[in-house]
Amino acid sequence: MIDPRLDVIGKRLEPVRRIIPVSSAKGGVGKSVCAALLALSFSQGGYRTGLLDLDFQGASAHLLLDVRLEFPEEEAGIKPLRTGNAELDFMSFAAFSREHTVPLRGSEVSQAMLELLAITIWNPLDFLLIDMPPGIGDEIFDVLRYLRHPEFLVVTTPSRLVRHVVERLVAMLSELKVPMVGVIENMVRSGSDSQAAQLAETYGTTLLGSVPFQEGIDDLLAAAAKGDRLPETLANSIRSITARITSADR
Amino acid sequence: MHEWALADAVISTVQRLYEENGRKRVLSVQVLIGELQHIEMEVFSMGLQNLLSEHPFSSDVFHFETEKASFRCNACGNEWLLEKHPDLGEEELEAIHFLPEAAHVYMRCPSCGSPDFALKKGRGVTIKSIDLSDD
Repeated sequence: MIDPRLDVIGKRLEPVRRIIPVSSAKGGVGKSVCAALLALSFSQGGYRTGLLDLDFQGASAHLLLDVRLEFPEEEAGIKPLRTGNAELDFMSFAAFSREHTVPLRGSEVSQAMLELLAITIWNPLDFLLIDMPPGIGDEIFDVLRYLRHPEFLVVTTPSRLVRHVVERLVAMLSELKVPMVGVIENMVRSGSDSQAAQLAETYGTTLLGSVPFQEGIDDLLAAAAKGDRLPETLANSIRSITARITSADR
Repeated sequence: MHEWALADAVISTVQRLYEENGRKRVLSVQVLIGELQHIEMEVFSMGLQNLLSEHPFSSDVFHFETEKASFRCNACGNEWLLEKHPDLGEEELEAIHFLPEAAHVYMRCPSCGSPDFALKKGRGVTIKSIDLSDD
């Protein structure tokens, strides 16, 4: 048996210039929030941007970006959904599962990912951000296997426990010589004991910046996707991070 | 119409194997169509025909075989066929049509009610075999 989907994924992603999986080995560190913030910031900076939510079992990026869940339009494949006013391309398992539970084993996650990659017809994009599930499992290895030149962005927090777990992911990516666009430290409060710079330096990557802890971030993001402004400190921190990513543009 | 994306995938695989094998003539391609994905064969065939115009093989070489979808429950061991789910609604079938893994969202083991089941056969579009000419 031959799986024909493997032969078409490269073609589907040809219109995408840079693919950035936003990852962390630990859950609850704000991967989805960081991916959504970056997507909005890139889009507002004039970059054609898409977001693919690969966290099938915990899909939530649609809530952050004010995406109305509906079946995608079909045109020789499926067309990405669009976000509120943000003009982002968007795709998620949630377009098909809506708000139901998604009880999938690892092999089924891989099958669903392959299908989405094979049938989604992305518009030309400068950046495709991927909201990855937590952990070092099937999704990470599938992204490494099926996508050409992914540049991982790793999210950590000032928590010693989080950094300890996240370091395992950074170490593995480094060992495998996978390109890393850098590390973001999320949920930073004033006086936080930051070790993120050291983590990045140890593994030969960059600390892209810190994102301040923001009360009510979910609602602020959804409002920002409709056109509202984010709090200035938060917006500046994200702009600074996207500027660092675009300055290293290939 | 997303059948076209899958037809495109099938053609891409045949094209790759054709090139990897010294551009030998393609005699036949056996395509297995799993019942679960509810592929519309007319749309799929139309996609093949349209997309093949730029390739050195014709739609005549493609042969289709359908495969019934069957499941096995990881919790109780029960095995069953898709026809045990006549209750699936239009929206649910549409979701499964796009993404067959959505079956795990909308289906349960008919015996014990568990969502923890495996699809044994009949998922979607796969290539069973490709025959290339020896000469």
